[in-house]
Amino acid sequence: MPILEARSLTKTFRRPDKASGFKGAVKHLAQRKYKNYTAVDGIDLSIDAGESVAYVGPNGAGKSTTVKLLTGILKPTEGTVRVMGRDPHTERIANAHDIGVLFGQRTQLWWDLPVEESLKLLKHMYGVSDADYKARIAKFDELLDLGEFMPALARTLSLGQRMRADLACALIHAPKMVYLDEPTIGLDISVKDRLRAFLREMVNDGTTLLLTSHDLADIEEVCERIIVIDKGAVAYDGPITELKAHYITTKAVNLYLEDAVDVPALAEKFPEFTWAAGEAPSEVTVTYESARFSTAEVLGSLTAQLAPRDLSLSEPSIEDVIRRLYAGELTR
Amino acid sequence: MASVDVALATISFKRKIAYKTTWIFSVLFGGWSLLAGLAVWNNLIGDGELGGYDWQSMKAYLIIGFLTSTLAWAGSDWEMANRILDGHVAVDLTKPVDFQRARAAEYIGGMTAAVPAAILGTTAAVLIFQPAPPASALAAALTALSVLFIFPLAFCINYLSVLACFVTQRYLGVQWARDCFLAFFSGMMVPLALMPVWLQGVAWGLPFVHFTTTPASIYLGRVDTAGALGLIAVEAAWAVGLWIGARLIWNQLVKKVTVHGG
Repeated sequence: MPILEARSLTKTFRRPDKASGFKGAVKHLAQRKYKNYTAVDGIDLSIDAGESVAYVGPNGAGKSTTVKLLTGILKPTEGTVRVMGRDPHTERIANAHDIGVLFGQRTQLWWDLPVEESLKLLKHMYGVSDADYKARIAKFDELLDLGEFMPALARTLSLGQRMRADLACALIHAPKMVYLDEPTIGLDISVKDRLRAFLREMVNDGTTLLLTSHDLADIEEVCERIIVIDKGAVAYDGPITELKAHYITTKAVNLYLEDAVDVPALAEKFPEFTWAAGEAPSEVTVTYESARFSTAEVLGSLTAQLAPRDLSLSEPSIEDVIRRLYAGELTR
Repeated sequence: MASVDVALATISFKRKIAYKTTWIFSVLFGGWSLLAGLAVWNNLIGDGELGGYDWQSMKAYLIIGFLTSTLAWAGSDWEMANRILDGHVAVDLTKPVDFQRARAAEYIGGMTAAVPAAILGTTAAVLIFQPAPPASALAAALTALSVLFIFPLAFCINYLSVLACFVTQRYLGVQWARDCFLAFFSGMMVPLALMPVWLQGVAWGLPFVHFTTTPASIYLGRVDTAGALGLIAVEAAWAVGLWIGARLIWNQLVKKVTVHGG
């Protein structure tokens, strides 16, 4: 039974169609023109309880708009959304009790008050009992080191602290469905690691997660399923492992030889591989199809014939795959 | 009133007093406009009277005007407007609270932060300038009641003007227009009695009149008890009517909410 279901979800915005310059400004004042812009174009989504889903796409693809449609902030132009059986827009208040939302670029902390005050207000809003509130704050403190800045004014927090506090705000009521829109934007690597560990634990505890991020490490470490959207439509929807297995069909070996490499000669000698010059004259990268050759086989052949000084293995990352999906080179 | 309303109002109050210097300045110097008004009207009235106000009753009128304007302009309408304009309204819409009721609690909580300034200023002005006393003890009580109704009325008027941001995409012009209407038609700027009769008719048909003219008229006994109760009933009816009107408007606007960017 899906916890979230969207059918033919479409959102069209009206944008001013205004020419640049003084003339354009005056003309727009006298005769206003608008153009319709479709941010989300007939998306179908179905997410089961307990799933962790990455929702990715290039800038302007419609990720945040989709999240706003799913959370009930925006009314769809066409199509339907059901979250736990409810229409999140018309039943906004009931829906809000069961969801947690974090917009990385918009804080939900009260800017001029201590973090603790914001959390206490949310406790009242969601009707969280004193015992549950204490237990959750203790857990957030353990996983996110919240205690160190609970008494600090929100406006004095660093970005990493602010994001951790915002995450606590989004989860203080133990929501069943969580939407995180760019939760690691602008964070340093150690805070990102801590947030990802926290999200993994949350997912392991059974919370359903929809995560949008440009940081593909967030996705690989936290999510099992990935939905790639581009120009408002779904370009790929499936397990991350399947995406990798399906599209990551090559592997590469970087060879560091004693002398300068003659790449055309090597390509002629080993035509079954693809050869590319490395950064230094004595470096070369060999790419091979993982379905045809085993790594041991390739390494055995290359080391026997070229006697490299050193070598390293590299696998195309999910990032490469997604880049190609964005570019329209791959389709499911 | 639910605990969440009290919590929102308290948060708003705390935010207002979080900026101590601003708050202390508003307490200490909020009375300058009253002093300026007293100086001008003293010069105009002298030993005579204008529009039925002698100097004693004009002092009472101006002090009531100071009290009500301190409260009426104490809310956080700019903050509400900015949240709509910069898209933070998206965060508000993910919370399990009625949008209008939550904004009312915040707004009225913010207004209460001005109460100390209003009470201090009014007490000081009464002690220093010794205006006309209330027409009766009952008139004083009814004046206090009409001042209390300013809280919901101010919220509704400010909230409605803030909702205009969904259409105008800017707040400054809307705010100027509203403040002009409020200052003029409430009688804060010039008592209604000094306006042409037709303009007085227009003013009595608008909600702004209840910010100054209603409490001042009750206090000074310019209306009898039945008239005072009638005015308070109309003031309350405006608050209820505007509340309902705002809800109807919000129900339409929320379908058109647009929040661009993450």
